[in-house]
Amino acid sequence: MKRILTAVMVLSLFSALFVLSGCKKKTTAPVARPTPAPTTAAPAPTTAPAPTVEVQASPSTVERGQQATLTWKTQNATSVVIDGGVGNVAENGSVVITPRESSTFTAIAKGPGGEGRSSTRVTVVAPREVPQVTSTDIDGLRQAIQDGRVKDVFFDYDKSDLSAESRATLEQNARWFRQFPGASVVVEGHCDERGTEEYNLALGDRRAQATREYLVQLGVTADQLEPISLGEERPFSPGSDESSYSQNRRAHFALK
Amino acid sequence: MTVPILMQLLVTTLTMFSPQEPDIVIRPPITGVTRLAVADFQPKAAASAEADSALKVFNEVVWKDLDFSAFFEMKSKSFYPVKPIRVPTDVTFDEWQTSTVNADFLVFGNLQLSGGGAVVEAYLYDVKTKQQVLGKRFTAASTTLIRNVAHSFADEIVFQLSAATSRGIARTQIAFSSQKGDSKEVYIVDYDGANPRTVTANGGLNKFPEWSPDNTRLAFVTKLPNSSRWEIWIQELAGGRTVLPTPSSYASSPAVSPDGQRAVFSSRSQDATDSDVYVASLSGGGMRNLTNHRGIDTSPCWSPTGQQIAFISDRSGGPQVWVMDADGSNVRRLVSEGGHCDSPEWSPDGRLVAYSWQAPTQWKHDVYVVEVATGKIFQLTVGGASNESPHWSPDGRHIVFQSTRSGSKQIFIMNADGKNVRQITAYGINESPAWSGYSKRDQ
Repeated sequence: MKRILTAVMVLSLFSALFVLSGCKKKTTAPVARPTPAPTTAAPAPTTAPAPTVEVQASPSTVERGQQATLTWKTQNATSVVIDGGVGNVAENGSVVITPRESSTFTAIAKGPGGEGRSSTRVTVVAPREVPQVTSTDIDGLRQAIQDGRVKDVFFDYDKSDLSAESRATLEQNARWFRQFPGASVVVEGHCDERGTEEYNLALGDRRAQATREYLVQLGVTADQLEPISLGEERPFSPGSDESSYSQNRRAHFALK
Repeated sequence: MTVPILMQLLVTTLTMFSPQEPDIVIRPPITGVTRLAVADFQPKAAASAEADSALKVFNEVVWKDLDFSAFFEMKSKSFYPVKPIRVPTDVTFDEWQTSTVNADFLVFGNLQLSGGGAVVEAYLYDVKTKQQVLGKRFTAASTTLIRNVAHSFADEIVFQLSAATSRGIARTQIAFSSQKGDSKEVYIVDYDGANPRTVTANGGLNKFPEWSPDNTRLAFVTKLPNSSRWEIWIQELAGGRTVLPTPSSYASSPAVSPDGQRAVFSSRSQDATDSDVYVASLSGGGMRNLTNHRGIDTSPCWSPTGQQIAFISDRSGGPQVWVMDADGSNVRRLVSEGGHCDSPEWSPDGRLVAYSWQAPTQWKHDVYVVEVATGKIFQLTVGGASNESPHWSPDGRHIVFQSTRSGSKQIFIMNADGKNVRQITAYGINESPAWSGYSKRDQ
């Protein structure tokens, strides 16, 4: 976004310079022009029409840090300046601004016919709080967990390393969690029944913590994720064979 | 019985045992057994149904206590003289020295109902010298307390005949964690499985109980329902508790120091990848990370002097038994057999550490002891079931553990040499037993 803004500003500056140099020619031109043949009448007063300018801001109210666009049109102007930090600009154009505080921008158009002015004000307000996530929103995440769109990740025996598949799963999950910043997600670490209770409680914690760390690397707020080990207390599959064990070595996600 | 298992282990892990008999001596010693005759106690006055039922309990409990104490060869009642013995003048000592009875010592006595309770007169005699070793009158305020009288008398006999090397274990208790639906609650039973009562009833997961040295408190780990945090509770048995502050949602395996001032436990700092062993005062002050090492460090226990801590660490691969000084220095590995170790527990005399071990090629666990000074290892449990979470009796002659040998996990006790296994819980799922120490009034 910043890059776009800079580009716009640079473009505006270029066109302003172009216009300014153009103006110079125009202003010098009348000098070079042969003086009109004198008439009998007294020299006519300058009949050049007065410049007009109209500047508008859209939106006229922004949160701090947000952008607004100033757009202006002039007639009969040979130079246009917008104060408030914008500077010389083209006769017609627009510029993207990011005002730090409420500001009035005045465009001054000058021409042979005199000077015209137009002002617009951009009001800057404090950023709103992070929108409160409604219960409906959390339900959306809850539904996603129930549907299996937020997937559990699985581990090898006595391991807490994340496989490539687990990482891919967590990258998907991270999108969900970032989308619901108001939802506290419990990251449960589970083990199969083969180890001892004490070691498995520590191993489940290491699995939960490894999962949480990777989600934080993916941009999920650390405070949103609560790791908890359930050791071998809550097996997903009751059997005592490898197909059950592999189901029971996992990190599972639940809403608090 | 242990030989086939030892051979089997030699095949799987050649370095584990030297082929000769293990030269580590585990008490109780096999030799020097005292032969004990225990005659049924008799009603002092006229028999009554109520007196008979009290006597039945008393006689059964005294016999089992003395039998399990592992100090005696119990002489079978079927060879005893027929004549009932109520008082010392009823005894004909020659009848107790025949080749069939052949007792060194004789226990007998009488019981009389009194008010709602009972009075028991109990005797221990040396059969050869015909001298009284013990003569004592016990008063039970209620007949429901008759078990306690029997336990007290059994402990006195053990104390006398062990030359005061043991105060007996008959009045000790065992705490454990018991599954109730989705929850696990902490329970206490008498050492023989009688008299179960609940310590927690919060519907959460209450695990790994350990006694304070004065037996007034239990330390354990709790996850309350709907909470996503494990907490370390120091629960007063008389009511009230302290919750130790811990650095993260993971906490486990608390153990109170022998001086009753500090606790070691396992927890994880917020940013660490896994658990460390921490120490703190019982009020939670002065918390310090003792291991501060990558890898799982958990299951800490104190040496009886409080100067060392044994713990489990997987820093070298699988979880093994390690030892460090109580300030975290001088870390060294105690067991290096591969596989998975857990639940180290220092013997009361400081000589041995009991632990559970899962061999690299097996999924079952067994109870082992290692001699701290030499690193010599001895296997205590055998068979196809899993045997875990050993914990010493306060006299160091017995070990309580959990086993799947009867199906679901249950609590068993055995002699410290692996013999004389006795089941003390039978229903549901029960795990992580901890044997109480001696209470203050017994010391």
